[in-house]
Amino acid sequence: MENGNFQNEIRIDEIGYIARLIDNELTIFERMKIKKSTIFRIFGALIIYSLTMLSFVLLL
Amino acid sequence: MIELIPLVIILAFLFETMDSCAGMGFGTGLTPLLFVLGYDPLQVVPILLISEAITGFTSGFFHQEFENVKFKFKKPINKETRVMLNIALLGIFAIILSVFLTYYSIKFEKNIIQTYVAILVIIMGFIAMLKLKSNSNSYKPKLLTFFSALAGFNKGIGAGGYGPVVMLGQLFSGIYEKTATAIVSVSEGFVSVAGVAAFVLLPVFLNQKIEIDFLLLPSVFTGGFIAALISPYIVRVLPNKLWKIVIPTYALAIGIYLIYKLYI
Repeated sequence: MENGNFQNEIRIDEIGYIARLIDNELTIFERMKIKKSTIFRIFGALIIYSLTMLSFVLLL
Repeated sequence: MIELIPLVIILAFLFETMDSCAGMGFGTGLTPLLFVLGYDPLQVVPILLISEAITGFTSGFFHQEFENVKFKFKKPINKETRVMLNIALLGIFAIILSVFLTYYSIKFEKNIIQTYVAILVIIMGFIAMLKLKSNSNSYKPKLLTFFSALAGFNKGIGAGGYGPVVMLGQLFSGIYEKTATAIVSVSEGFVSVAGVAAFVLLPVFLNQKIEIDFLLLPSVFTGGFIAALISPYIVRVLPNKLWKIVIPTYALAIGIYLIYKLYI
């Protein structure tokens, strides 16, 4: 969709503005790309998962 | 030594994937299945609440990371955050009431209230399907408050179906599907924390003893956590058109499953 038309359809303070923008402006392949910082955060989450499982081993 | 049960991991993964993608089904779908597998309520209910508390926030964090939603907790908070907090507050009130009623053994006619919720979910899912072609997206806050209160009331009287009613209520109120999913995930995180607290603290206040069995926790947590990492990415990548179809269809399936469970 053309950027101009899309901007007319929704307001910037509307709920879900960014999700709508990404959906309309990026192709499915562009949406598949993951930022480096996100990959680090996923690793961070996996570390939290491992620590939680370790605490289960110690506590349960 | 903790025990990991592969079947429970797979079930938790599948239901949490759908819960984080479509905003519903973790409690409604997984609880009766675990009962069928022979686990009793004290092995299932608190464990699902603990797991949902962690996975709700994890999923919410990654929904924000993948830009399905933009929460802002510093003042002035934005509309997404306000909607999430409103839903969460009504849900917290409802779950405390629900645990309270359970402890005081105040029981409503289970079949009648569960039938009512199942029919409500089926009707809402059906209306959402009829509205598929509508592109109206104006936000209706009063309608959202009504549906959040209705979902809270249902949960409060122990009828369940909180996720489907809140999720479909958001869609009827003009909230974008991907964002609605993210909002429900975080609100369920808050509601589940309150549920765990109520489960643990109420018996203390009422001088009662409760024995929670943690056998299923590592398995449910493992399946749920992995799903909570993956689902926000799936929501981002797949087009919203698809979620517009998947969400009401899944709600209809849940409603029909509830009826099946009650009468067949």
